[in-house]
Amino acid sequence: MTTPDWIGRSHERIGARDRVTGALRYTADLSFDDVLHVKLVQVGGARSAIRKVDRCEALKVPGVECVLIADDLPQPIARFGPAFADRPILATGETKFFGEPVAAVVAKTKDAADAAAALVQVDAEPLPAVLSVEQALDPDSALVQDPSLRPKDPLAHSNTLREWTFGWGNPSEVAPDLVIEHDYRFPMVTHFAIEPHVFIAAPDANGVTIWTPTQHVFVLQRVVAAALKWPIAKVRIVAPDPGGGFGGKGWPKFEPLLAVLALRLGRPVRLVLTLEETFQQARRTSARIHAKTGFDRAGRIVSQELNTDFLIGAYADIGVRVVSKASYAACGPYRTPHAKVTARALLSHTTPSTAFRGFGTPQASWAVESQLTEAAGLLGIDPVEIRRRNLPRKGEAFIPNDTPADGDWAAALASAERALDWHAPLAKNRGRGIALGLKSSSTASASQAIVRLHYDASVSVLSGTSDMGQGARTVLAQIAGKELGVSPDRVVITMGDTSIVPYDSSTSASRSTVFMGNAVIKACEQIRRQLRVIAARALEVDESAIDVVPGEVRTPKGAMSYAEAMQAGLGPPRGEIIGVGEERGGGYRPEHPLGGRPEFWEFMCTAVEVEVDPDTGMVDVTRLVLASDVGKALNPQQVETQDEGAATMGVGHSLMEELILDGSGRIVNLGAMDYRIPTIQDIPRELHSVLIENEDGPGPYGAKGAGEGGILGIGGAIGAAVNQAAGVKIRDLPLTPERIWRAIQSARSELP
Amino acid sequence: MSLGKIPVGIEVNQRSFNLEISPHHTLLDVLRDELRLTGTKECCSEGECGACTVLVNGQAVCSCLVLAVELDGQKVTTIEGLASDGHLDPIQEAFVTTGAVQCGFCIPGMIVAARQLLSSNPNPSRAEIQEGLAGNLCRCGGYSRILDAVALAASSRR
Amino acid sequence: MRPFGYLRPTTLDQTIAALADPEAKPYLLAGGTDLIVRLRRGHLRPTVVVDTKGVRDLRNEIVSVDGGLRVGARVTMTSIVGDARVREHFQALVEAASVVGSVQIRNRATLTGNICNASPAADTVPALLIYGAVANVAGPAGSRRVPLADFFTGPGRTVLGRGELLESVDLPLPKAPVGAAFGRITRRRGVDLATINLCGLVSSDGTARFAFGAVAPTPFVSVDESGALAAGGSDQAARRAALRRLFARARPITDVRGSLAYRAAMLDVMSDRTWTLAATRLTERLRSGSS
Repeated sequence: MTTPDWIGRSHERIGARDRVTGALRYTADLSFDDVLHVKLVQVGGARSAIRKVDRCEALKVPGVECVLIADDLPQPIARFGPAFADRPILATGETKFFGEPVAAVVAKTKDAADAAAALVQVDAEPLPAVLSVEQALDPDSALVQDPSLRPKDPLAHSNTLREWTFGWGNPSEVAPDLVIEHDYRFPMVTHFAIEPHVFIAAPDANGVTIWTPTQHVFVLQRVVAAALKWPIAKVRIVAPDPGGGFGGKGWPKFEPLLAVLALRLGRPVRLVLTLEETFQQARRTSARIHAKTGFDRAGRIVSQELNTDFLIGAYADIGVRVVSKASYAACGPYRTPHAKVTARALLSHTTPSTAFRGFGTPQASWAVESQLTEAAGLLGIDPVEIRRRNLPRKGEAFIPNDTPADGDWAAALASAERALDWHAPLAKNRGRGIALGLKSSSTASASQAIVRLHYDASVSVLSGTSDMGQGARTVLAQIAGKELGVSPDRVVITMGDTSIVPYDSSTSASRSTVFMGNAVIKACEQIRRQLRVIAARALEVDESAIDVVPGEVRTPKGAMSYAEAMQAGLGPPRGEIIGVGEERGGGYRPEHPLGGRPEFWEFMCTAVEVEVDPDTGMVDVTRLVLASDVGKALNPQQVETQDEGAATMGVGHSLMEELILDGSGRIVNLGAMDYRIPTIQDIPRELHSVLIENEDGPGPYGAKGAGEGGILGIGGAIGAAVNQAAGVKIRDLPLTPERIWRAIQSARSELP
Repeated sequence: MSLGKIPVGIEVNQRSFNLEISPHHTLLDVLRDELRLTGTKECCSEGECGACTVLVNGQAVCSCLVLAVELDGQKVTTIEGLASDGHLDPIQEAFVTTGAVQCGFCIPGMIVAARQLLSSNPNPSRAEIQEGLAGNLCRCGGYSRILDAVALAASSRR
Repeated sequence: MRPFGYLRPTTLDQTIAALADPEAKPYLLAGGTDLIVRLRRGHLRPTVVVDTKGVRDLRNEIVSVDGGLRVGARVTMTSIVGDARVREHFQALVEAASVVGSVQIRNRATLTGNICNASPAADTVPALLIYGAVANVAGPAGSRRVPLADFFTGPGRTVLGRGELLESVDLPLPKAPVGAAFGRITRRRGVDLATINLCGLVSSDGTARFAFGAVAPTPFVSVDESGALAAGGSDQAARRAALRRLFARARPITDVRGSLAYRAAMLDVMSDRTWTLAATRLTERLRSGSS
């Protein structure tokens, strides 16, 4: 009997039907008896001293249960955070960013909570705020964090939370034929998932349960437990599938506060943020990158010196990790004989930045790719060719002592070159750009999976991965289906409940197909081994006489299905076979700057053609090509849609997205009306994605991860294309029509 | 003039409801909170994102911009009302087939907007599909597949 | 949103009485696409919202009247865009109405509501101005007609007094063949508010009318009778100069959508492009013999 191969097929997305009918319940769709509604109170401006909070009028509103402020909580106030426990549950003494809540109103109805929140009077005195890289580095600026929070840190009296130096060789000892040196800026942008943030908490018999569309249930579980000073086992996280995450739903925000409220009030409490409030709570780390790149006459990189200054915001969140991970690999997928990267994670009175698709690499790539494109122009080398000359071969180390190039990257480059018709004549006002993006996957993480083979050979998979649109359920079902010879339609995936699923580090770093996929495979292998034992015992033969393949148990007396084998082996008392699998990759390496080597590299080549209206600066993306090195596309349609989706998102930060702050640090363009993201009318006229599959990844069947590649290099590609089309050199994103127009005016006025 | 609730008779997905509604509650509030029809989603609450799109008398509108009390005697169709007898509407099928569904949060609004588009323009060009769905944001970036889905649905309806 | 009362009058007199009620802070609700946003943001705090949709006297049709079309108070943007007569005679208004938000917005938003919201960046207003639209106002003291060019007094402010409302808008048919075009600058290709918007009309009698939005406290219209903007004219320098005179009143500002310098520059660029399109349309119209 042959089983169909579920791998490499675009199996229908599990959960698609529930989504197109509106049947799927996202977190805000859940109903709870007896629930109370929460509304947060904030003050204007980024940084204010909280002098007094007057709750009298608010408490008179019928239906109000409480108005909680920091002073109500045990002191010193509990602080939380995934890397540093620096963030207080409610602002205490001082607000540190625009949107940090000062009070939480809880009431029986949403209307009552809204009305009461408007009546809370906060006497707040605005204070000077640190809002930029330059201000953060200025020794005369205020300190964002109290030095007492960093007792042994020599940097505690600065706004530099952490700094690193990565590199090898010695750039100061070489004499390149050409040196290009510039500053590049990447803006503050926000995730803008269509589902705003929502948090629900309720006390229960064991402790507390929190419902929230978090990407990382186990991170949240331990952070809340630590904030409450409780054992991990007493905190249960239930995470319905997110309506978009992109990193913005990864790391704890108001869950500790909601847990405290639920426990104080003894009832479920529910907080749904408006879109504006959501923007205030999460953003990408913005950056100023100083790049000094040395080339020889043939366009080969001789030296790369980068100063990567990332403005991470008021609290560390996972920002420190963004900076270190992206800076470590900032030189990109190129042979770089001499490299020095000095990186800084800078505090500021701004929204705490967090993970966001690409995790710092889009920022670094914007700088490095722009440098390469400029070198190509000055040296008279084609921009594709200059990259080709610098690409390492598969297996070649390009970062010493680390994971070597693990793909045929030149093939992706050539593929994009062809698909864009790179060498065709270019029409007037048009330009082309190409960029490579390289991101380190997970460096030291763990995924565990439990697979249950039921008596009728249907299957349950328990996995801590979050399916937030990338299709994780489908891929895991396809893997389990292949390994056990079962149609994915007979596989049920349970995710997102810490009381049910085993441990998983996170759904991030494009790691889940590899780590969770491998864990599922191992669990299935365990099941097959147990089936062998059971069948041998039932047939009273030696185990060596039994061969268990997907879907079939082969015995000296003929083949049995898995169901038949279990019936024979378990008999009328019934039962099930449980397999447990774990994947930890290359493991934790304490001596490695990132704690471990990248499990694989996520590599994407992005090529684009644009047309620029020279009088208005308006850009039309006429063609976009993506060529990604994915190892094996377990579900090609899902990989392509992830790549296209990431690129579309990247069109946003390349051409239109930027959070605009006024002098006091208030974000002036909150909400959908003035924060512009791409609409269906802003997409490239033509979009092609190419998947390079050489089965050379560490994941199932040679797979690597995907999902972030599309957003890594798109800034560099669009920037190069716009600069060529308009005859300008812009080094700050986004390339808005006005910014392009200004550059064109400057260029014209500089003509002799 | 009264700040109290107002009796309103609305037909939603071909079922009649007699409700007492506060004037300041939007159609979106009433659909989700009173009628427990949670398929229609809330995002920007200002008519910019389209996640809350429903049909009122066959026309696509942002339910966050309609006060429920305005709709006495009117007919509303939400995403839950598109499938009939358990069979998906061709638009819903097409969205599944082309890979247009990722996280899914924008999808109900997209499908309802597409329903109005195809009702009035059964053979739309790509540009016309873009215009018909211009008010629906998708952050997963699924637009090109969404375009494919609407085109596929158009051809399968013919 | 803060709670408020709700009235659904059935006659114009009831509506006026509700608006004029000195005990109340009333606000008219037509399409709701501007009002609900402002209510949610707390910019407006009415005690009562007066819904026009049950008022039969406030028509939701476009009717032909002597010498033109009368657009009733409840006519939506969708209806404007789809009306054959508007498409035939007021092409620039169709273009403008087509870009007001999305389909969902246009299915609810009324033309009169767009006017009365009085945003300096309202897309339909420059088109209405070049066609010489006239507002039919009704109120406690009776009816009056106000040329739309005199209707706006400041950002968000109109000549409407307490208890007054816009009952309809008259669009006089052009007396001679014209070509007209709408143009605007936005930050993205998709749905957006205008950074600047404008409309140009070129008449076969050699005159031209241009109206501009988002570049002054109110939209404004200017007329050129020099002949420099006639279709088929070849004196580019004179044309440029004439266009610049037409928007000399502009006082662009810097805001989140664009800077003063960019807006000023785009006035130049877009007035030229809009003139070219309007003049071409006129030429085609004359060639094809329609009036």
